This record gives sequence, C-alpha cells and structure tokens, in this order.
Amino acid sequence: MKKSKKGRAPKGLNFNLALLAILFALSAAIVALNPGFLKFNYLMNVVVKNIVEIGLMALPVTMIVITGGIDLSVGSIMILSCVAGGLAAHSCGAGAGILVSLSVGLACGLLNGIIVAKLKISALVTTLATMFLFRGLAKGITAGDSVYAFDFAAWIGNAELWGMPLALFLYLPLALLFALLLQKTPMGRRLYAIGLNPNTAKFSGIDVDRLLLRIYCLSGLICALASFIYLGRFTSVKFDVANSMHLKVVTVIVLGGTSINGGIGDMRGSIIATFIIAVLNSGLTVLNIPIDVQTIIHGSVLVLSLIIYALLNARMKKNRIIDVLNAKRG
Amino acid sequence: MKDKRRSGSFNKRRLLGTEFYLFIFLAAIFALLRLGAADFYSLNNLMSTLNYFSYLLIGAVGMNLIIITGNIDVSAGALISVIAISVAFLGKLGLPWPVFMPLGMLVGAGLSLLNGLFITRLRIPSIVATLASTQLFAGILPLLVEGSIYDLPASFTWLAFKAKLGGVVPASALFALLVAASAMLYTRYARFAKRLYAIGNNAHAARLSGIKVDADVVRAYVIAGCLYGISATLIATAGQRVTTTMGSGFDFTMIAAVVLGGTSIAGGSGKILGTVFGAMILSVISPAMNYLGLSSDWSDAVIGGIILLAVIVGAAGALGRKRSLSETGVTEG
Repeated sequence: MKKSKKGRAPKGLNFNLALLAILFALSAAIVALNPGFLKFNYLMNVVVKNIVEIGLMALPVTMIVITGGIDLSVGSIMILSCVAGGLAAHSCGAGAGILVSLSVGLACGLLNGIIVAKLKISALVTTLATMFLFRGLAKGITAGDSVYAFDFAAWIGNAELWGMPLALFLYLPLALLFALLLQKTPMGRRLYAIGLNPNTAKFSGIDVDRLLLRIYCLSGLICALASFIYLGRFTSVKFDVANSMHLKVVTVIVLGGTSINGGIGDMRGSIIATFIIAVLNSGLTVLNIPIDVQTIIHGSVLVLSLIIYALLNARMKKNRIIDVLNAKRG
Repeated sequence: MKDKRRSGSFNKRRLLGTEFYLFIFLAAIFALLRLGAADFYSLNNLMSTLNYFSYLLIGAVGMNLIIITGNIDVSAGALISVIAISVAFLGKLGLPWPVFMPLGMLVGAGLSLLNGLFITRLRIPSIVATLASTQLFAGILPLLVEGSIYDLPASFTWLAFKAKLGGVVPASALFALLVAASAMLYTRYARFAKRLYAIGNNAHAARLSGIKVDADVVRAYVIAGCLYGISATLIATAGQRVTTTMGSGFDFTMIAAVVLGGTSIAGGSGKILGTVFGAMILSVISPAMNYLGLSSDWSDAVIGGIILLAVIVGAAGALGRKRSLSETGVTEG
C-alpha cells in the first residue's frame, strides 16, 4: 500500500505540474503580447465566464470517461433543460423552471445510466442516440422557437460577487468536491477499477451497475445546472445552439490527461485543462486572432497533447497496473 | 477455412434478424404513408428523398467499413465539408464536371489517410484522434474560403440536375446503388473485408494470425475517404453555392445509419444491407412525418428514439440468444 502511494503521487503531481506550467507559460505569453489580458475585469468576465458550462460538464464526464464510458449527450441535455425550464418558468414561475430543469437533467442522465449500466449497451452508442433524442425533444417542445431566460437563470448567469462572476463560485466548490470524490474516496477508487477492468471490479464486490447509474445521473444533473448559467448568459436559447459542446468537453478531458479507454485519469488534470482552454480562447481573442484560426489552434493543441500522451501512455498504464497489483497485495 | 465459413453463416443468420425487422419496419412506414399520405408518393418528393438517402448511404458504407474494424470516424462531417469546398473551388476554376468526383475522392482519401495514420502510428483511440482532426478540418476551411463559394457556373450542377436516368432518377441514386452493391459483394467475398471483421473481433488475435492490422485499418480509412468524396461531390453539386458547413453533423447521421443497421460499434460484425435499411429509415422519417401531418419539429426526437429502441432490442435479442444457447444448447434462427 505504502509503496503504491509513493509510486503514484509524484507521477500524478508531475503531470499536473506540467499542465500548470503550460497554463502559466500560455498566460505569460499572452500577457507579454497584450498586457490588457491581465486586467482583473477581463480575466473574470471573459476568460472565466466563457468556460464555466464546459468546465462544469467536464467534471462528471471525467468520471464517466475514467470508467471507460463517454457522454456525448451533455450538450443536448443542457439545451433540453434550458428550453424545458424556460418554458415552465414562463408559464408557472421561476420555481417551476428550476424544478423542471433539474428534473429533466436528472431524467436524461437516468435514461443514459439505465441503458448503459443495466442493458449493457456501449456508452458511445447510447449517448449518441440520446444526443439525437434530447435535442430532438428540445426542438419538438419549442416548435423550433427560442426560449428566453427567467429571473433565476439571468441572475445565476450574470450576477457578480466581489467583482467575480457568480458562476465561478458555483464551479470552484463543485470542482473541489469532484476532485476529492474521485481522488480521495472509495467511490473514486472504484471508478478507476471499473475503467481498468469492469469484470474484475464486479467480482471484487463493486456494485458496478449502481455506480455507473449514479455518475450518469450526476452528469445529467450538472448539465441542468450548467443550463441555468447558459440560459442566463445568452438570454435566449434555441434548440440548435451549443452543437459541439460534447466535443469541447471531451477535448478538455483528453487534454487533462484522462485516457479515453478508461482507468487512467485525474480530475485535477481536467480542471487545469479547463483553464488552459479558457486562457487559450480569450487570449487568442484579445490578440485579435480570428475565430477560425482559434479552432485550428485548439485542434493542434489537442493533437500535440495526444502525441505526447501516446508516448507516455504505455508506461503510465503499466505503472497503474503495477500500482493496483501492489495495492491488492498490500 | 472451414471455421471461417461456419462463423460466417452463424453471423449471417444472426444478422438476418436485424435486417428483417428493419425491413418490416420500413414496409410498415411505406404502407402507412400509402394509406395516410399518398402525396408522399409524388415523384418530386420521392426523388428528393432518394437524393438524400443516396448521399447518406454512400458515406455510411464507408463509415460501416471503419466501424467493422472497431474504429470510428467523427471527422467525416468536417471532411465532407472540406471536400465539398474543394470541389466548388475546382468548379470556380471552370473545370468540367468529369474531374469533380475523382478529385473529390482524392482529397477525401488523402485526408482520411491522415486520420488512419494518426490512429495507427500513434495508437490513439480513433474517436479522440478523429475528434482532433475534426477541429483541424473545420478550422482550416473558413481560412481558405469566406463562408461560401457562390456564383458557380451552371455547368457545375450538371451531375445533380442534368444527369438523370430516364430523365427521372437522379445520378446520385445510381452511385448509391453501385456503391452499396459492390460493398455488399465486397464484404461477403473479399479477403480484405474478412480481415476487417477479424480485426474488429479481436485486433490482437488478428495480428498474431498474421494480419497486418495497421495497414488494413489505414486502408479502410482510405476507402471510406473515397466514399465520402463521392458523397461530398454529390452534395456540393446540388447547388450553385457551396458553404463551409455543408457536412457538419453528417458524421453522426452516418454513424446512426450504421448502428441502426445492426452493426456493433465494438466492431467485428455488421452487414451493409443493414446500413442500407438504416440509411433509408433515417432519410424517410422526416418527410414521412411531414406528409402525415405531424410537425417535423419532432422528427429528430423520433429518429433518436428509433435508434435507441433498435439498439436496445438488438441487445435484448443477443442476450436472449445467449441464454437459450447456454440453457438448451439449441438456437433459434
């Protein structure tokens, strides 16, 4: 046990340190080119605000990816929660809107979870289908029209606390909570076990189905939470916006060092990667680089990180397996 | 050899089920339309539905080959946009129509080759690798073109509007038929196709039994790229304006057609015929709902529901078969 801890801790630390170094180098480079970037106001209102929804969704989806699954339906769940909550709020008040949003998110997550965990259908296929389904439902119930923000959403999306967006105060505790949940609790360890080998996990007494069900539900709930912020920020939401949300979320997670094959990953990596993408996005904007070039730079960052991970991955995986072996022996 | 044949026939029998149900479902839709909305059978609507079906099917066959190997390609939509813009660029240069499709296929094959190399050389899971290349393709496009290429010469649309069989059936349908038929024969008889199934079933075992897994996977991507090229050329030449987002979202529709057709996303199984039915259902739903007087706003939800249902029924069937196998040792056809 002791040995495994020793083996693991510095390695994870190094990796996240590398990500942090990238984050600081990136920030420093942008500040050197345009000092305006460092203004507190800009940092808070542009850099942080634009990434909160993606950052929020990346938290539970990191867990899902660590179990070897994936959730492509996050963007669709968010939009469905947005429009369902918005419609309910406009006919029955903000309370109903909040309740409907959250229950829609939970229901969507539950559906994903039941199909993945109980019916053993691959997460990729399931969430691909529900991605169509949820967005289609959003289109259906709004008949293709826009839905407008209600008080609560507008408040949560735009309010500020000590000059910082309220959404940040929602994100940071949740990020901390998820990081602790994944890295420090038995539940987190079990998620890794499922990702490494679901059969082994099952035979060593882990209730795989229930755990999976739980994290897909969690994903749905967080999407509903993100939907308030999204609706508030944009004041009107149509069914066809945020189309590539799932790809952005996966980009953040992969950049954070989580293996898409499951079993390897780190919540802290995803959190740092969220800020890297945030700085990259707004830094490029502040440098007047057109949005299309930004997409290429995004892609290149992802490709570069993939190549680096590809070189590291084989070794990491071997170490992880040895760790688990040691842990079992200990 | 004997083994292969036996497992092949087992596969066929198992999958005939999926295709059979899909066929019944399609027949039911068509019958319902006959009764409830005979307007659906107007020549105009039939041909426009057939057109969309052809675009979808040609690309989906390529996607099917990739999925059989246990990989996936989520960059296909962006790739089709890139090819469509390249074709429009050629059209703007005033080149004649016969060069469009070969060059479109070349562009598709080249870019898809990059995907394949990226996946096999660096051992990156295909979904992540193609996710990354999606961003590259989608990002490069607007740099080359300002939103769209327009005012294309009238000769540009020859393939879509003038090239019609008997003056009625669009050329795209002919291409789709050609692609689907040859793919069906190919997956059934070609050694290369058998290797793709072997790779999808167990890549490691395939490698140990002497299959050059990486080379074959790359080849599957290149073939798929060629097929995206055909599909993209047909899509591009359907109008005198080609935008940079023409193919966006098409990748997931193609994957949906393949999955609906009974191909396992884990690889190693799947028949082209299923994909044909899958693509047909996906392209019929939206106009069908329209003609039946249901709001087409709900068509995406219905499509999602159908895919989900098909996958669930398929999984339940597989489970039931497994159970009957282990309990009685007798399988039903």
